[in-house]
Amino acid sequence: MSAADVGAVSLARRRRSVLAVHDLRFVALTVLGLAAFPFVLHALGGYSGLATQILLTGIAAIGFNLLLGYAGMLSYGQAMFYGGGGYVAGIVATRFAGGHPNLWLAVLAAVVTTALLAFCVGLLVTRLYGIYFALLTLAFAQMVFFVVEQARDWTNGDDGMQNVPTVGMPFFGSTIDLNTGLPALDLGPFGNLSDVKLWYVFAALVTLLVLWFTRVLVRSQFGEVLGAIRENEERSTFVGFSPRLYRLAAFVIAGALGGLSGALRALFDATVPIDSVGIDRSGSFVIFTIVGGVQTIFGPLVGTGVIMYLQNVISGKTDAWRLIEGLIFVLVIVFLPSGIVGTLLKRRRTRKQLLDTVKATP
Amino acid sequence: MEGLSQALLNGLVLGLIYVAIAVGLTIIFGTLRLVNFAHGAFYAIGAYAGLIVAQHVGLVWGFVAAPIAVAIFAVLLDRLVLRFFYSKEPTSQLLLTFGIAVVVQETLRLVFGGTTQQFPVPPQLATSFALGAIQYPAYRLVFAAGVLVMITVVWLFLDRTDYGLIVRAGIRDRIMVQLLGGNIERASTVVFALGAAIAGLVGAAASPIYSVDPNTGFEFLVPSFVVVVVGGLGSFWGAVLGGLLIGELQSVTTVVYAPAANVIIYLCMALVLVLRPQGLLGESEVIRQ
Amino acid sequence: MSALLETHGLSKTFGHFAANAQIDFSVEPGELRAVIGPNGAGKTTFFNVLGGTTPASAGTIRFKGRDVTHAGGYRRVHLGIAKAFQTANLYPEQTVRQNARYAALGHVQGPFALEVFRRSQRLAAVDAAAERALARLELTGVAEQRCGDLSHGDKKRLDIAIALATEPEVLLLDEPVAGMSRDEARKTELLIRKLAAEMTVLIIEHDMDLIMGISDSITVLHQGHVLATGTPLEIRENPRVQEAYLGGHSQAELAHG
Repeated sequence: MSAADVGAVSLARRRRSVLAVHDLRFVALTVLGLAAFPFVLHALGGYSGLATQILLTGIAAIGFNLLLGYAGMLSYGQAMFYGGGGYVAGIVATRFAGGHPNLWLAVLAAVVTTALLAFCVGLLVTRLYGIYFALLTLAFAQMVFFVVEQARDWTNGDDGMQNVPTVGMPFFGSTIDLNTGLPALDLGPFGNLSDVKLWYVFAALVTLLVLWFTRVLVRSQFGEVLGAIRENEERSTFVGFSPRLYRLAAFVIAGALGGLSGALRALFDATVPIDSVGIDRSGSFVIFTIVGGVQTIFGPLVGTGVIMYLQNVISGKTDAWRLIEGLIFVLVIVFLPSGIVGTLLKRRRTRKQLLDTVKATP
Repeated sequence: MEGLSQALLNGLVLGLIYVAIAVGLTIIFGTLRLVNFAHGAFYAIGAYAGLIVAQHVGLVWGFVAAPIAVAIFAVLLDRLVLRFFYSKEPTSQLLLTFGIAVVVQETLRLVFGGTTQQFPVPPQLATSFALGAIQYPAYRLVFAAGVLVMITVVWLFLDRTDYGLIVRAGIRDRIMVQLLGGNIERASTVVFALGAAIAGLVGAAASPIYSVDPNTGFEFLVPSFVVVVVGGLGSFWGAVLGGLLIGELQSVTTVVYAPAANVIIYLCMALVLVLRPQGLLGESEVIRQ
Repeated sequence: MSALLETHGLSKTFGHFAANAQIDFSVEPGELRAVIGPNGAGKTTFFNVLGGTTPASAGTIRFKGRDVTHAGGYRRVHLGIAKAFQTANLYPEQTVRQNARYAALGHVQGPFALEVFRRSQRLAAVDAAAERALARLELTGVAEQRCGDLSHGDKKRLDIAIALATEPEVLLLDEPVAGMSRDEARKTELLIRKLAAEMTVLIIEHDMDLIMGISDSITVLHQGHVLATGTPLEIRENPRVQEAYLGGHSQAELAHG
């Protein structure tokens, strides 16, 4: 073994040991944040159920960010997977459940269907780049919208699916009712522990899993190559990577996350609005992600939380909510291009560097 | 048979709206390398501006005011916001214009309400015209002729003037234009305003045919993107051909099998993408932008 | 001996312009072959078609007897054809080491691997190949620098290191010493000599001193056609080559040689 090889091996070992500590800290902080979230939201005046909706919607934004932030692909079609997943879950729960709608079955069907849809659409759209890619995803999403709108027998057309039956969650022999509340415990301004339903606990677990998966993925070999292709596609081709397959894989993963998100939202809300597959929905994932911070793990979720919370608070008081949302988006693009989380991270990094320089100076 | 002729004429009118929007998108893309998500917003502003002026001043003045109002708005937008994004990557320009489109749409909704409104048809043209066996509204024929004239004028502008030279050269090679000393900054603003004015005028002129509400901008914008992709991004005649093709396809499908009318244009786009990714009249070099 | 890389009737047209026309070309294993010609002769286009950057309009390319005319660029890399670009083609935001690691990773893992749960650091072969490539180009000292901050010469050498990290059999070098200082150019020349002992090297270069000194053989392109192929001496003496250079725009180049 040459000296270079020995150096490489010890380098690899060092990186691996650092990893475990980081992972633990990540999981601990995320669990804390998710546990506190519904109570903080209650104190800020959010309605019960908003926390669950934010987490479930945020999953689709996380998928979108995987594309835009880590693969450099701006998709204006995330709603075809979000809404598509919602409709598949709704249809499965309504029609194929024989009176006992099963959450796992509905979600699985939705994720598989949207992943397949993403694969088919991806085969076409990953041939193209940048603005072309954006336009095409938008156009395919519109196509899906019109198909859903026309398939009235299945989707109830413009009115959306109402009254999706309550699903049970079979779990080791018993069936859990996710609408059960936690035990009562008064928490003062933060409401009561019993306000939080098992749905939230479930949503938080799924979110934790998705966040962890995203974090692992972007640091994995796959994520590394995705970054290489984003930074220089031509060079990446000429070191032996197939950019097209990577872009396609990223598109499918993002689509499946969109499907998961939409399916869970549909089952939680017990409705699937036609808007969920519409152009404004696609746009909202763009807005959530940019506002929260593109190319960060938590950004899309934070952005979803901030925007959906503001919508909840503001839309009750004025009709101008969507205008305000648009203005926030434009202001963030112009003045805060790294988004909320991105800016905070940058600031922390600069402070750390400053401290290091101060320490290094005798 | 009559149904089909009717559909072909309707397709022509619809196609010409797409052509007008797509031509604007194309010349703006050519000079600024910017895919303008706010272009549908220009259409909507034109429709509403025309509506107000028509109600308060006079119908004809509505058609005059619409393109001017939209051009002024576009110049302000360009000078105050967009130009700081010229050198940024295309996706962040896309995000910005998308944001602007949302802001415009929602402002229109606040000011005019979410309901559908309709421009009155000028009384002189409120008749129909016999074309062979069918009767066709005179206004639509005048509209079609007007758009055709406008497209010709724009083409002459591109073909015969210095600005046009910069636009055409810019589509091929932006750096070359700068090397040759073309004042691309000012030409960009002029072209942006021109593209916007076209959308604004068509927005006003089309609203007696297709009613207008705050979402109208996006509703016409997305098919126009399809037109641009089918015709070939950056190709003037591609936009014209694509617009007519998509308009006719949509209109004829409405007669044949209505539920498929909105889906078929996207299928058509998918087909073009598979067979000829650069678009019908596009050049393969611009595709990797 | 059978040819390692050969083309038959290879053409590349852009619209009506034929950048490469009917090129028959073949390289033996271990050869150091230079491709020269006046500006606009079609040298870079020829490399682009060989490497797979742009598809050929007509003709065939065979590598080790296998038809690779329609193989994508990344497939050719895995078959053993690597390329250093005319202007260094790097990952400017990454460190020098990470640039080499990407290339080594591409070589080790193949065109695609859905490794979403594992990091590339577990592949010791990747780090080893990257370090080897950096060491060969004497870039180990700057391995932790952001490569966008490197000097022009170091960038071009890193580009070669990236190509080497894919462990090629044929290395395409497009003007490797262009824009380098005299010292850097000498160092690079020595390196090319060493590389030529281990692999087949194809090189485009305008520096005639370098070309005449190191090449086993030279192919001269002129207006997209092969004008002549032969040893450096034969090429220097060839009246048609002299005419092409003197008649073209690049008199200075031959005078230089």
